[in-house]
Amino acid sequence: MKNRDITLHINGEEYRLNVAVNRTLLDVLRDELGMTETKYGCGTGECGACTVVVEGKAINSCLTLAATMDGKRIATVAGRADFGRLDHIQQAFVDEAAIQCGYCTPGMVMKTASLLATNPDPSEAEIRHALEGNICRCTGYEKIVKAVKKAAQTMPGRAVAVEPCKEVVQ
Amino acid sequence: MSEQAIVGTNAPRVDVRDKATGQAQYAADIQLPGMLYGKVVRCWEHAHARVKRLDLSAAAASPGVVRVIGPKDVTAKRYNSSVLDLMVSESMHDMLGDIDDQPIFTEHVKFQGDAICGIIARSEEAAERAAAKVIVEYEPLPVYLTAEASRAPGAVQFTPEKPGNLAFQLPEAMFPNHALGGGDVEGAMRDADIVVEDAFYVPKQKQCQMEPHAYVAKVDSGGRLTCWTSSQMPKLVQRKLAKLFDLPMNLMKIVPTVIGGGFGTRLGMISEPQVCAMALAVPGHPVKLQTLREEDWVISPSRHPGKYWMRIGFKRDGTPLACDARFENYKGAYYLDASGTAFTAGAWLGGMYRFPALRYRGESYFTNQGLTGAYRGYGNPQTNFVLEQLIDRGCAELGADPVEWRKKWHKGVGDDGWCPGVTYPSCALDECLDRGAAAIGWTEKRRRYAKQEGTIRRGVGVAVMNHTSGAMPMLLEHTACTVKLNEDATAEVLFACSDMGQGSHTALKQIAAETLGFPFEHVQLSGGTSDVAGFDIGAHASRTIYVGGAAVKKACEEAKRQLFERASLQLGVPADELDIRDKRIFVKADPSRGIEAEAITRAGVYHFVDPMTGEPGGVPGQIQGYVSFFAPHNSPPFGASFAEVEVDTETGEVRVIELVNAHDIGRAINPAAVEGQLEGGIQQGLGFVLSEEMDYDAKGRVQNNSFTDYKMFGPEDMPKITTILVEDADPVGPFGAKSVGESGLVSPIGAVANAIFHAIGIQFTEAPITPEKVLKGILEKGVRDYASIRRR
Repeated sequence: MKNRDITLHINGEEYRLNVAVNRTLLDVLRDELGMTETKYGCGTGECGACTVVVEGKAINSCLTLAATMDGKRIATVAGRADFGRLDHIQQAFVDEAAIQCGYCTPGMVMKTASLLATNPDPSEAEIRHALEGNICRCTGYEKIVKAVKKAAQTMPGRAVAVEPCKEVVQ
Repeated sequence: MSEQAIVGTNAPRVDVRDKATGQAQYAADIQLPGMLYGKVVRCWEHAHARVKRLDLSAAAASPGVVRVIGPKDVTAKRYNSSVLDLMVSESMHDMLGDIDDQPIFTEHVKFQGDAICGIIARSEEAAERAAAKVIVEYEPLPVYLTAEASRAPGAVQFTPEKPGNLAFQLPEAMFPNHALGGGDVEGAMRDADIVVEDAFYVPKQKQCQMEPHAYVAKVDSGGRLTCWTSSQMPKLVQRKLAKLFDLPMNLMKIVPTVIGGGFGTRLGMISEPQVCAMALAVPGHPVKLQTLREEDWVISPSRHPGKYWMRIGFKRDGTPLACDARFENYKGAYYLDASGTAFTAGAWLGGMYRFPALRYRGESYFTNQGLTGAYRGYGNPQTNFVLEQLIDRGCAELGADPVEWRKKWHKGVGDDGWCPGVTYPSCALDECLDRGAAAIGWTEKRRRYAKQEGTIRRGVGVAVMNHTSGAMPMLLEHTACTVKLNEDATAEVLFACSDMGQGSHTALKQIAAETLGFPFEHVQLSGGTSDVAGFDIGAHASRTIYVGGAAVKKACEEAKRQLFERASLQLGVPADELDIRDKRIFVKADPSRGIEAEAITRAGVYHFVDPMTGEPGGVPGQIQGYVSFFAPHNSPPFGASFAEVEVDTETGEVRVIELVNAHDIGRAINPAAVEGQLEGGIQQGLGFVLSEEMDYDAKGRVQNNSFTDYKMFGPEDMPKITTILVEDADPVGPFGAKSVGESGLVSPIGAVANAIFHAIGIQFTEAPITPEKVLKGILEKGVRDYASIRRR
């Protein structure tokens, strides 16, 4: 198996690695760097538990070869909290009781981060659509959707109070 | 205490900050020095075959491989991966006929995914490469996927202990004629004016917990075997593994890990025997075994599918006369849980309505499908799909309102619950029905949708359920709990029952803080490893708050009793005249007189005798409360669900518009957590009734072991959800609480099926009710107005 030298910028830190070309980003994060906050759920890009944000966009790290990530900025859920101080998305998930078993949470939080980066005021329908690739088996999504709404409303730098989320009209 | 400050609030979850930041450590996240990686080689090509030849030599020579172990390298003893057999007395065990029929590695493959041998290597990749080099030759055997096939004369026998491949039927000694119930069913049916009857099929649903099963095991230099596992029954798994490997229990340690969802799949063991066998082969080295999703799918137990026949007789005025039912489940390859679901499906049936005559027969047949075992609801979803549809068919033919009929005939306080002789201590089902009906607009919509035109039809439906809070008297309900007061009057609660993610440890901590009169933040609750924590039967039967919470409450009451006893000496007032709030003990009649709890706890630990006078400084001894608690009851919860659906009669698609889940939970210790259970339950209930089923080809190979091919409700599929918590304090449960863990998914099943019936006048006897089945039903029977069904 061929190896390749790559540099990854993970949560603001630089990592120089020599990786086998068949290793996924998820493998490298978990097994080589010990960053176990990103989860394996299916290995086939169906459940979203391994979601990380690369250059501002959410991707499934289980489907991404690490060698293709050379020079990229990668964000995982561990980079969002500042020594235990939760960011607004994590806090919203806690406040809305949107976390049960917690296994989907790192991916959900990262998917939310990428959604709000491009759409800071999503409707409920837009939130639900954005979360389609992230499976939760505990919550029925009810409180997760509320948490994403709350995260949008509490995003730092929001100058004015935003209007309540648009509800889906039957 | 007269009023509760902590119980009933949405206290912050104890584990969510770790989960939100990714710090929570699930089994797959564990990294230990010198760790090796295990891989179980499984049979993927056959569901039934004998191993003719197994050659491990090429695998053993593969780079990075440490050991390869096959059937002859491990104990020949067999096990039963369920824990039900440990939860009943020995005589009951013998009567039920529980058997140990699972080998660690098999030479007779009974389902796709059966374990053949194990690889231990220095990396996961090396283990996988070696696994591909294992040479196995099989002799294929006939594949039996249904009870009809496996009980046919001449079929290959799964085990000599169960002739005819009948794994279980209700035992004659306890259930005459192998039937649960009583009364003259045949006579009652003859007297009935209307009899409704049908044969149903209930599907094999997969738990689909998000964390695939993973383990670590290690034998240390003292010979102690430690297994890190996310089993929801750590204490029973400890005993099972100790027995399997001939170890005294003190040398078999279980470390429970954070659980990434379970829903029953972790009720017992899955691959613990294999990972422990690997660890025993390489003493001193930890072995990690991670299960791939597609592997987890086929090897972990699922919900019991099968044929469910039922008939119900009514008088013309709506009086139910009798119910007769038979559930033949397709058990799968091994015995585990063969007795449980076959019994409980009938138990929930018996607990629901006041049928003067009832006959339920439950049977489990071995098949070459994957294993079946515990899945949230445990027989209740199957019964709900069948019973609630037939009740609505009866109501339609009688012209009775399904809500009013249920209010009139459901069982309630004083009636026998699921276990004959154990009566309901509380029941607020009427309030569930009333509030649920109001929330969905029942009366108006029932009338409006009874006669419709056009291709899109709407309907509303209702269903009810009863469940349980722990499984006494059928199963052991025992929890030990220790509460230790630190010298600064903070508390450590030790309790072995796992939090499966439902928030039980948070609610238990609320119970502890409330009982002690300590602030929530001054109580710590730990699950504890098997060598530290006392006995607990495990997280099953929705028992953790009802039984575990009662144990925590009693242990805290004992600690508080000791605290008050010492305060009473100081204050000169009898202990029963004292109360505590925010760690200050005071005289009820004169709250200005009091003492800080810390003064007592500190003096108990830092106990000095005055060297000048010889006087002791307070009462010596650290205060600890301990209880070994056995639940006295099973206070069943009740629920009513209402669904509104839209059926597209041209495509067969069913869209659920709204789902109202009104549940009688006694008392919500943490309302947000209770809502979370009911909301999550709805997602799984909708899957059972509309979309989820494991699909096997004729050779017994799973066709849909992935999230793409197995359809669960996603965020856009979910309906508007309304959760109604009906709080009518139960006289037995801690602070009036009953269970909620399993029940949320049960009655949405019947409610959706009945809403479809209301919309198009057709009942569907096979779940899940997919668009194909709806279209077929419409083509065969034609859309009918609900109002036209009434028998004139």
